[in-house]
Amino acid sequence: MSDIIKQKIWDIIASNTSAAEAGWLQQKVALAPGAVAPIELMTAFVAASRFLSKKIITTSEAEKAALNLEIPGFSVDGWSLVRLGRVWLLTQLDPSDKEEYVKNIETLFDTAEMNELVALYSALPLLSYPDQWLFRATDAVRSNMGFVFDAIALHNPYPEKHFSELAWNQLVLKTIFNDKPIHLIEGLENRTNEKLAVTLSDFAHERWAAGRSVPAQVWRLTGKYLNSALLADMQHLFDSDQEDDRKAAALACGDASLPAANYLLAKYTDLEKSVKSGALTWADLEH
Amino acid sequence: MCLNHNELAQNPSHFEDSEEANQAPAHRDIAWNDYKDLIKGMRFFDPHIHMVSRTTDDYQAMNQAGIVALIEPAFWVGQPRTGLSTFKDYYSSLVGWERFRSSQFGIKHYCTMGLNSREANNEPLAEQVMEILPLYIYKEGVVGVGEIGFDDQTPAEEKYYRLQLELAKEAKLPVQIHTPHRDKKKGTERSMAIALEHGIDPSWVIVDHNNEETVKSVLDQGFYAAFTIYPFTKMGNERMVKVVEQYGPERIMINSAADWGISDPLAIPKTAALMKMRGIPDETIRLVTYQNAIDAFGQSGQIDVTDFESGYAVDQTEKFHGNSILRGGQQPAPVKDFLVIN
Ligand SMILES: [Zn+2]
Repeated sequence: MSDIIKQKIWDIIASNTSAAEAGWLQQKVALAPGAVAPIELMTAFVAASRFLSKKIITTSEAEKAALNLEIPGFSVDGWSLVRLGRVWLLTQLDPSDKEEYVKNIETLFDTAEMNELVALYSALPLLSYPDQWLFRATDAVRSNMGFVFDAIALHNPYPEKHFSELAWNQLVLKTIFNDKPIHLIEGLENRTNEKLAVTLSDFAHERWAAGRSVPAQVWRLTGKYLNSALLADMQHLFDSDQEDDRKAAALACGDASLPAANYLLAKYTDLEKSVKSGALTWADLEH
Repeated sequence: MCLNHNELAQNPSHFEDSEEANQAPAHRDIAWNDYKDLIKGMRFFDPHIHMVSRTTDDYQAMNQAGIVALIEPAFWVGQPRTGLSTFKDYYSSLVGWERFRSSQFGIKHYCTMGLNSREANNEPLAEQVMEILPLYIYKEGVVGVGEIGFDDQTPAEEKYYRLQLELAKEAKLPVQIHTPHRDKKKGTERSMAIALEHGIDPSWVIVDHNNEETVKSVLDQGFYAAFTIYPFTKMGNERMVKVVEQYGPERIMINSAADWGISDPLAIPKTAALMKMRGIPDETIRLVTYQNAIDAFGQSGQIDVTDFESGYAVDQTEKFHGNSILRGGQQPAPVKDFLVIN
């Protein structure tokens, strides 16, 4: 954990707190780093909701850029002050004794209620010994607590960096399954893979069989991996009465190197033109 | 219940034994049709009930009878715990699943957190519990440290009682005291003396399970006096009416302490109805069955009456950890039916 990131988070806290709130936080870490008994910090982590406002913080463009420079993809947009305060308190835990540090974080996970879990998962990109939290993080993907799921899946750079392909694919599919916007997953483009594309096709078939739809933008995960099965899905999309489906098929075929995909796209002249000219992009389907 | 009389005496709920004689008339059993008109429009706050041991039917009946909020004190689950994990899971359920379940029946759920006296006697385990207790008492909706105090009045019980009083002081939380059944008078006096010795303001302490023998001293010393209406022991509702007639409503509150033993989650509305029958003024009834508990535990800063005073919005389609209270094919009950007393 770099001191720079702690400072940058503190700067955001300072511009969003009253003097009393800032004073309470500072008092909790008043001693030199590492000299504070961990239980004091851990208790403060829990008690934060009693001493800090639940209002949503505001951050300047400069502050956002500064955070992103330190840890790419890390963002505190839309967080409450309590959540930010809790994450900052976690950054104050001394990591020098690994066993002790891991035990303390594990205890917080074990005893956490929902809002505390949100803060813990939000803090994963900042914690030391990132591999230690893999089980917790993949477990959160299985969580059916909406806020907890969001904290690990959306705007969180931890999964991209540390998840196995299997865990990553679970996260993406669960996001789709929960009808949440996949473009808010950090590293989505970097970690597309063939297995995910194939699984997505199966998933879409199940949905279609049940008379339900699939959000159009999920097909952005398939372009590079189009095969004959997926190509049939593209045809299905081109035949859809939803404009977004037709656009998604055009974009996916445009991403593909498979010649058959290019032939298919060529049948839809207007769409082909928009894709090739760059007038239509995946961003147009991000709802 | 299939407990025979002996088993009940050996392993009683709320550390109860059955020595206490039933002086008639101590308790009057009332059925819903007898009392529903008497409590129409009243709302109740049960400051001591163990919902983890109760059923869905109880929640529905409580809501229907006008109970809008409750406090679930951390308690003894009836058999010895084997390790710290079961404490963690139990405490977590008080701020997690049980709170959620209650919300699904239109009842706002708070809790108090503590290591109870009986379990203080397992010292190695008690030590471990004390280490994690601070992580629970500061959680949202935790309105006090409780229920703590004495059972057998052993040195270990005293040690952990004192430690938890200090925790409560540090956290600026009210204290909910369980008073023992055996040697109650002495235990109650001792509990109060120790709280005062720790410099705790008596108006921040709720002394529970009072009876005619203890109430005067508790009130005279400035503590809150809570009464548990148990159908057969502890305090009958007929007796309770007499206590209120004699002492008035100030710093007195009534609870059901319903748990896994023979107890009645509707003890408060029934006692309110009986008070009404006996001509006790509505305002007095309101104070002892609703307002005083809110004043006492509200000192925690964790009770916002706007959450429940005009009814509590229910959405039975909500889920917690993916589980809903609805079982296969059940339809959620319409919200409006939960908010009125029929
Ligand atoms: Zn109890």
